[in-house]
Amino acid sequence: MQYAEKKRLKQNFAFGTLRVLSYSVLVILIIILGFIVLNGFSVLSWEFLTAMPEDGMTKGGIFPALIGTLCLMAGSMIIAFPVGVMSGIYMNEYMRDGFFKRFINVMTNNLAGIPSIVFGLFGMEFFVNKLGWGDSIIAGSFTLGLLALPVVIRVTEEALKAVSKNFREASFALGASKWQTTSKVVLPIALPNIVTGLILSMSRVSGETAPILFTVAAYFLPKLPSSIFDQVMALPYHLYVISTSGTNIEASRPMAYGTALVLILLVLTLNLLANALRRYLGKKVKMN
Amino acid sequence: MNYESKNNNMSSSPEEKVINAIDTKDLKLNKEIKFEPSANYTPSNKTSVTKLESKNLHLYYGDFHALKGISMAMLQNTVTAFIGPSGCGKSTFLRTLNRMNDLIEGVKIEGNILIDSKDIYNSRDLNIDELRKRVGMVFQKPNPFPKSIFENVAYGLRVNGITHKKFIEERVERSLKQAALWEEVKDKLKKSAFELSGGQQQRLCIARALAIEPSILLMDEPASALDPISTAKIEELIYELKSLYTIVIVTHNMQQAGRVSDRTAFFYLGELVEFDDTKKIFTNPADVRTQNYITGRFG
Repeated sequence: MQYAEKKRLKQNFAFGTLRVLSYSVLVILIIILGFIVLNGFSVLSWEFLTAMPEDGMTKGGIFPALIGTLCLMAGSMIIAFPVGVMSGIYMNEYMRDGFFKRFINVMTNNLAGIPSIVFGLFGMEFFVNKLGWGDSIIAGSFTLGLLALPVVIRVTEEALKAVSKNFREASFALGASKWQTTSKVVLPIALPNIVTGLILSMSRVSGETAPILFTVAAYFLPKLPSSIFDQVMALPYHLYVISTSGTNIEASRPMAYGTALVLILLVLTLNLLANALRRYLGKKVKMN
Repeated sequence: MNYESKNNNMSSSPEEKVINAIDTKDLKLNKEIKFEPSANYTPSNKTSVTKLESKNLHLYYGDFHALKGISMAMLQNTVTAFIGPSGCGKSTFLRTLNRMNDLIEGVKIEGNILIDSKDIYNSRDLNIDELRKRVGMVFQKPNPFPKSIFENVAYGLRVNGITHKKFIEERVERSLKQAALWEEVKDKLKKSAFELSGGQQQRLCIARALAIEPSILLMDEPASALDPISTAKIEELIYELKSLYTIVIVTHNMQQAGRVSDRTAFFYLGELVEFDDTKKIFTNPADVRTQNYITGRFG
């Protein structure tokens, strides 16, 4: 066989394998999504989103769980974003390389690797019991916020690292201080990526079950919270409840698929929003 | 170009009148930026005045001895070119002149750099931001900010505390004119700087550096990423800017050094091998290493 022919066959084989494998990933994703959509679509309605659960959670809607999840997302966002973004900026822009920085980096990585149930346990012991907040939105938000913190720090750091040092040098060479350079040049350039990362971290938080298990989530609570010290239902936990320990698991199966679909749609919307925002902000950055 | 008017009488130029007319009380300004062109902004032929001086300068990147006892003096209103093969230390030395190497961790510097007879490394009262304002820099790759053309040039003014809109507009226009870019961009100042060609971007970066009226302009291979026509424009510009600034240019291109510079320094392996009039370096170098380099035997 000619060498050129052999080379071509090898290449076709390599790319063919890669193609088949990446398509199979797509197929698996479509099967999962299709399964949920087919089973959950029939219960999806305005009423399903806005009504209280009824008849031992076999009928009615998921309104309190949806509101609960949105509360927890907002709460954990308030806790994780400012602290995480500022730490990320400090660590990437100001801290000198050295033992302390490496130490913090290792700790952040470890924190990100801790199973979420451990966060749940810590949240229960510290926020619920020690601080006496009880099972509440604030305890759950702090627990979820802690969980999101290392992700937020990492996202911020990565976004800042991606900003070329050419921009920083240009700014310093004009007599700008480090803070002016950070705030007027580096942050605006990094902003689209930071925002995208933050939204993605939120979509991850929205589906977490373990951290809210002991800190906020209610088994059945057909009313809306009136303060941050109230318990709430939440989508992922609600899904768990009606799939495993409801009063009538068979009868509530469609509700479970509906809940799963809503959760997936929520995450999907957030991801699309993240993409749209990155594109929009990316364009805006060039102009200002 | 508007130099002629400044040559004759500072206040007679209409451009300067507007600037002088602005009530200084309204402005939050650093002391250093004045409304009248500062003394160092006056075109002059005082090419015998030493502007920049390096005394036995050593620089280490960790254990690597990158600059080995550089001593040289650069004269006011002249163009000094640094030439030498890659890694010879010419860019590193250039970056010691506005303390840009401070940004790199693990750099150690010994010796002195004097600007207007003042030591920029060992003076207690030296403010680095102020130093960099006086010593402008243009980089190898055009690096405009992802901002509008106007905001790119205005940036240096803004970070130095100037808020007066009219003043900033005047200065942006003048800087763009000095950088020979005004005619090409005057109708699209609000457009992103990224819409300009590479050569235009580099002239924008020059305008940006000029806007804060430095007295020294450092250029690190400013044309190496540009096409021949853009390169010619930049070289022409350097020649014109000489009357206002002391220019130090690093270049890989020996023809370029020959065309634009008055004095040329040849660096090799971290040493300053030879520093003399450009004509002398290119026609009758004293050192055999210089001779070998300029005749293309290595590098």
